[in-house]
Parts: sequence; C-alpha cells; structure tokens
Amino acid sequence: MSEISAFRHVTIGQYLPYGSLVHRFDPRAKLVMFTLLVATVTFADSYTASLLLLAVLLGITHLSRVPLRYALQGLRPALPWIAIFATLQLLFYKGQAGGQECQILWSWGFIDITTCSVRLVALMVPRLLEFMILISLLTLTTSTTELTHGLERLLSPLKRLRFPAHELALVFTIALRFAPTFAQELEKIMKAQASRGADFGEQGRLRFIQRTRNTLPLMVPLFLSALRRAEDLSLAMEARGYTGGQGRTSFIQLKAAPQDCVAVAVVCCFSAFILLHDFTALDELVVGTLGNLTRVAFSCVGH
Amino acid sequence: MRNIVQVQDLHHTYLPGTPFEAVSLRGVDMEVAEREIAAIIGPTGSGKSTLIQHFNALIRPQMGKVIIDGQDLSDGNLDVRALRRDVGMVFQTPEQQLFEQYVGDDIAFGPRNSGFDATEVRRRVRKAMEMVGLGFEEFKDRLTFSLSGGEMRKVAIAGVLALEPKILILDEPTCGLDPGTSRELLCRIRELHDNQGVTIILVSHNMEDVAQLADRIYVLVDGQTVLDGTPRQIFSQPQSLRDYSLDVPQATQVMHGLRSRGREVRGDILTVCEAEEEICRCFGFAEGGGTGVT
Amino acid sequence: MIRIENLHHTYNIGQPNAVVALRGIDLLIREGEYVVIIGRNGSGKSTLARHLNALLLPTEGDVWINNINTKDAQHVREIRHTVGMVFQVPDNQLVATVVEEDVAFGPENMGLPHAELRERVDEALLLVGMTPYRTRPPHMLSAGQKQRVAIAGIMAMRPRCLVLDEATAMLDPRGRREVLDTVRELHGNGVTVLTITHFMSEAVEGNRVIVMDQGRTAMDGPPREIFSQTEKLRDLGLDLPPVTQLAQRLHQRHPAFSGSLLTVDEIVEGLCRFPQPVEVVA
Repeated sequence: MSEISAFRHVTIGQYLPYGSLVHRFDPRAKLVMFTLLVATVTFADSYTASLLLLAVLLGITHLSRVPLRYALQGLRPALPWIAIFATLQLLFYKGQAGGQECQILWSWGFIDITTCSVRLVALMVPRLLEFMILISLLTLTTSTTELTHGLERLLSPLKRLRFPAHELALVFTIALRFAPTFAQELEKIMKAQASRGADFGEQGRLRFIQRTRNTLPLMVPLFLSALRRAEDLSLAMEARGYTGGQGRTSFIQLKAAPQDCVAVAVVCCFSAFILLHDFTALDELVVGTLGNLTRVAFSCVGH
Repeated sequence: MRNIVQVQDLHHTYLPGTPFEAVSLRGVDMEVAEREIAAIIGPTGSGKSTLIQHFNALIRPQMGKVIIDGQDLSDGNLDVRALRRDVGMVFQTPEQQLFEQYVGDDIAFGPRNSGFDATEVRRRVRKAMEMVGLGFEEFKDRLTFSLSGGEMRKVAIAGVLALEPKILILDEPTCGLDPGTSRELLCRIRELHDNQGVTIILVSHNMEDVAQLADRIYVLVDGQTVLDGTPRQIFSQPQSLRDYSLDVPQATQVMHGLRSRGREVRGDILTVCEAEEEICRCFGFAEGGGTGVT
Repeated sequence: MIRIENLHHTYNIGQPNAVVALRGIDLLIREGEYVVIIGRNGSGKSTLARHLNALLLPTEGDVWINNINTKDAQHVREIRHTVGMVFQVPDNQLVATVVEEDVAFGPENMGLPHAELRERVDEALLLVGMTPYRTRPPHMLSAGQKQRVAIAGIMAMRPRCLVLDEATAMLDPRGRREVLDTVRELHGNGVTVLTITHFMSEAVEGNRVIVMDQGRTAMDGPPREIFSQTEKLRDLGLDLPPVTQLAQRLHQRHPAFSGSLLTVDEIVEGLCRFPQPVEVVA
C-alpha cells in the first residue's frame, strides 16, 4: 500500500524515450500501422503467416531498442492461465480448424490430440505474443501526448459528421492527467479509513453485499472528490477562455515526414500480402518438416 | 514520564530495487514522552508523512525500530487493530475521507469497526462530538455534506477521537482553515491534552501554533532529525533555522533582528507578549502605558 | 480599470435556499494597484472575485471591465483575456499531462498562431521561474510549483489584471513565499493584482486593503491605515499580524514608538533608533 506513495516518481503511460526510428514516426502513422497490423494478426490463419508476422514484429522491436522482455512483461501474470488454456484446448478440442480433415495424432481415453487442436494452439500462442508486442510497441514508443493528439488529428475529418474528435481527445488528456492524482488520493483515503479500523484485506469469507458495503468508505470520498475536481477544473477552463473546440489552435504540431508515408505503405503491402496470399503449400512444408523433426526427437527419447 | 513513542535509527526506502527507488528516511531518532505535545516540522519532502505513518503501522519499519507503548512494531504478530485504537491518526484535510450520509454515522465508523455494542458506540460518538465542539443532538442527524468546511473537519477529527486513542497524531490540522476556526481547533487540541491526558504529535508548518503548543520539537530535513529540543531551544538558533529554510514566529524574528544589531535581548522569545516584555525591559520603556520613564 | 456599481449577488435567487452573498458593492480599481481583499469566511470575498471575469453575473448592479459590461455576452472572451484568475486548489487548474502544454491551454483558446504560442509559453514559464520543469507531468510537482504553473497559464494570456482567489491557502510556507514573490514581481511589471486571502500577513503586500463583512465593504485604505484600527478589525473577526500587534503594544508603552509598523524590519529599525539605556530600570 505504501508503495503507491512513490507514484509521484513514476511516469504515467510507460513511455520509454529511447529516440529510435520507431519513436520518431508520426503518431498518426503509428496508429494506422498499429491498426493494420492488429487486423492482420487477427485474421492471419496459417503457420507460415504466423511465423512471418512474429519475425517481422521481433524485428521492429529490435529497431525500437525496447528490450523484448519489457515488451512482453504484460503477459507475465497471464502465463499460467495461457498454459492451462492451451493444454485444455490441445487435449479436448474436437472441432474443425484449417480447412482440412482432422487427423488424430494421439489418443488416450477421451483425450484426443488432433491436427486441428494442434493447429488451434499453434496459432493462438504466437497471436497472443504478437498482440502483446504490438500494444507494447505503441505505448512504449509514443508519449500519451502524442497519442491523444495523433488520435484527434486522425479522427478530425469525422468532425464534419458531428463526431466529437476534439472533445474525445480532451477527455482522454484530462483522464490521463488525473489518473496519478486519483491514485494518490485513493491511497490517502485507504490509509485514513484503515486508520479507523476499516479492513480492506479480507475477502472470501464475506458475502457479496458485505464486500460491496466495504468499498463505500473508499468509493464515496473518491467519487465526491472527482466531482469536486470536475467542477473546479471546468471553472478554471472557463476562466482561461475555453469555449469548446471551435477556433482553437494547437501547441503540439504533427508533421508527417516522408519516412512515415513510406512506413505506412510498407506495412500496407505487407498486410495485404499476409492476408491475401495462399499459404497452404508452404504450410504443408512447414508441418511436414516439423512432423519429421518430432518423430526423430521421440525416437531419440525412446532410446 | 516514560516514553510512549520511541523511534531508533529508522530508515525507509520507497520501491527498493526498482529504477524508481527513493530514500525517504535515513536514520530518524525520536522520543515522545507520555502526555507530551510533540511537534514535527520540516520542509515538504523531508519524510514527515512517512515517519508518522509508521506510528500506526500503515508502514512497517524496514530498518530500525519503532516502539509504541512498549510494543515493537516490527513484530509479525502485532495486533494492528488494537494499535490503531490506541494511536489515532488525523490526515491532512481529513474532511476528504467522510463518506456516510449522516454525521453521527460517520463518526461511529471507527467504534463500529472495533466491535463495540450500540450503547458504547453512542457514548463514544457523543463524547467525541462534544470534544470538538459539535453538539450531539444538534449535529448527529445532519447531512454530512451540508456542513461548512470547518464543521466537516471537526466531524473527521471526531471520527478519530471516538476511538479514544492514547496518542493522537495530527497532520497539518489547520491547513486551509481561516484564522478564527484555526484558533478554536488548536484550543480544543490543547484541552484534549490537558483534560484527557492524550499524547499529541503534531506535524505543522505553522510556527506560531507550534511555538505555543509544543513541549518538544523535532526538525526533520531530508529524512533525518537535524534539530530537537524545546521551542525556546529551537527558535533561539536563527542560523540553523535559516539553513533549513524554516519559518520562525514573527515575534522571534524581531528579537533575532535586534540581536544581530548588537542589542542585548533574549533570543528565545516565542510570543508577542514575551517580546513586548523583553523589549520594554531592555529599552527601558514604561510599565503598562505610562508616558515616560518611571 | 475595474468599476463596480451597486453590485448585488444572491445564490439560488427566488428559491427557498437563496443566499445573499453581496449587498451593494461600489468599487473602483485603478491600473497598477495591488489590492488585498480580506474578510471572514462568508463575507463574500470569493463571490466578488468571480464577478470580475464574468464567471458570475450580478443579480443586480453592474461590473465594468475596461468599460465593457460583464453582462455583455459578446465580449466575455475579451473580459477573460483582460482579467485572469488563479484558484485555491493548484491541482484542479491543470488540464494537460505536461507543464508546457498546460501553459499553452489559454493561448490555444485564443486561437493564436503556433509561433506565438511557443513565444508566450516560454515567456510565461520564465516569468514564474518554472522553465526547467517544462516537460514534467503535473503530478510530480509540489503544490507551490503547481500553483506557479497555474499562474504561468494565466500570464500566457497576457492579462492586464490578475485575481488570486485564496491562491496560497493550501500551500506550505515555502510554496506561499514562492507564489507571493512571483506575484510581487508581476505587479512590478505593471500587472494589476487583486488577492483574496485570510492571511493578514499577506495584506502588507498590497498598497490597498479592502475589508469585507457580510457582503459589504467595511474598510478600504492603505495597509497602515487599516491596521491602525484594531478595535474595528477585532469586531470584524480579524486579527492583526503578530508584527503589527507587537508594534501597537510597544506604542502603548512608549508613545514615541510608532504603532503602525507592518514588517519585522520596520520594528527592528524603529527600535534601533532608541539608544539602549546603560542602566536598566528594574
């Protein structure tokens, strides 16, 4: 609990200012590339594509100078669950996958490991890794300021359709600005209530309603504080001449450089290739090779 | 009088082993005798908050010892609940922690958590409210958030007093209050100490308040106790106070100013009255409103 | 510069929970003044302040800022560019995630071109001495520093008048000193300053003190003049700063000693003009 006090030493948003090529891309370009790659990862459905994507993303990570370990640390708490889920899928999945007949590779009682379940798991794991890398790459190489401004600029053409791009960006900025402040305040309130004998540790034994009541001493003051801050802040904004998004200029300037356009174009082509090309032939090659390798490994182990 | 609070060579580091590591306390020593009023003063970031949070086990000692009423707070079997009944903590702007709809309920939160029965809770709430100057019948059914800022602060303090602590810790009790309410609050703290024998530990920036109330002052700078003594001892050292950029009561500043001009006046003056007497004594001014030298 | 005529303000007017905050204020504030408004809680100080930049409109009477009436909806922007306001809680005035972006917020609202935005932000940060902190996030600053950033945010709009609504109430002594020093410097550069405070010791900063009581102006004059009226101040629930209390007591003991002194230095100087008697009367 006391560790949150040192929060004031921690920067929000995990931005690591390494100044690499990836860092220097225009945030709009990064957002577009991010979206394209997320879509590609989601819909890629072959072993080869999966491997290609993984290789490319690892390459970009290297370019960004972000340590891979750091990029993947978000997965760490979920690892045991992923392992369990993957194992269950491998052993019990009885459905279709990959457009071809499922062949049973190994059987024991009601456990069936089929080519389909193997395919499912073999595609799921790299996909998770890839998502994690993409999100980390975006947030570790782009400051929150850049992200909100980039998002606002990208969405501003939609203003013509009454889409509140400016308001959304402002909401995000204010939320990010106050997140650490609320964390500090939550900590202070927890300590104050704990000092009066409130218990925030015990769970399990208490029934649901009891547990919800227990959070009132935290939630009510925090909520009220949020309302108070909102009122004060809107008054201050009014005093500084804020009357909405019309007529505002921007301190942060985003300039698209040639390298941004090139990067986006490259990613477009790559995504198109991954999604449209037929990889079945290559897949069979990969599967065949792996199959032989596995048989060899088992026979060695057998001896 | 035995020491009810003992701090020996206390160290504390936030987030040790991470890139955000920050040393907060570097070997603090402190003793508070039973029924004493002790004050901790120091600039922001000196570790005052960290120090006082050790006293009711919100933070456990990483290195060094903290002993409260004979109990070592490094003990794994410490009954934290009981400790928090004996050591009451009032944080800065405590009115921000109020959550119950009715005043009486919020003040009763502490005693209820301690498991007292309804009669006992009621007795405690009544006593606590009287101590802060909120009439029981008048205020117990008022809506908490309809009160003024000063009244809400009193409610928050009553909420801690209802635990009937032996030691009361107050972090900047008069912060944000206007002078009239400030003075009233400090009077009541004084009364609490005099009538109930409660040990008081005050963290404050207000030097005039500290000079008047405290029996002993600890000056904390950069995680260490750099000065400690009675108010007279502390405030009669203008150089040290300047080094640590601490505020000095205005009356004391006048005396120091005179001394630096070579006038032979006492430097350990704390109040306007004392300054008046000493200056008149020294400069030969008349006694009590006369027209010339007697 | 600011003209107030017969200003009345009632909160929730016409409703059962109506509260009369201001009962007929007449005031004239000239350019370059440093006015300190003091009063008990509930005397109407903050309400008065909020009329100066049209955050509140009078329920009766008029407020003119540089001859523009605050009720004139077309010119509200201009009024807010002329009169800037800093509030009590430093945290609740900062909008952006980075200091220099927050300072730019006001000028951005004014629709200024980018080069000028840059110039104003740099200038404002320099004025308050916060240039080294330009890329820091607000939650890593002390309260005094945050308040100075808030002041920079207002000064970037280049207002002619700065209103501080209890801006030092939540600060520690160092923070308070920092803010007061900054404001003193701004006043030296020609900004009209209006401070609302309940710290009597801050009243000596100004060249004019207005004491408010129950929605009316009870006293109005230079600090020395106001502080010499101890009785009246006590009736209004206000105390003199310790320095002035001491000076007045000494004056009573020895009329040759002036009772209307405001600072520690003045008392020391005043006393040092008296020779120290060789023999002290027992």
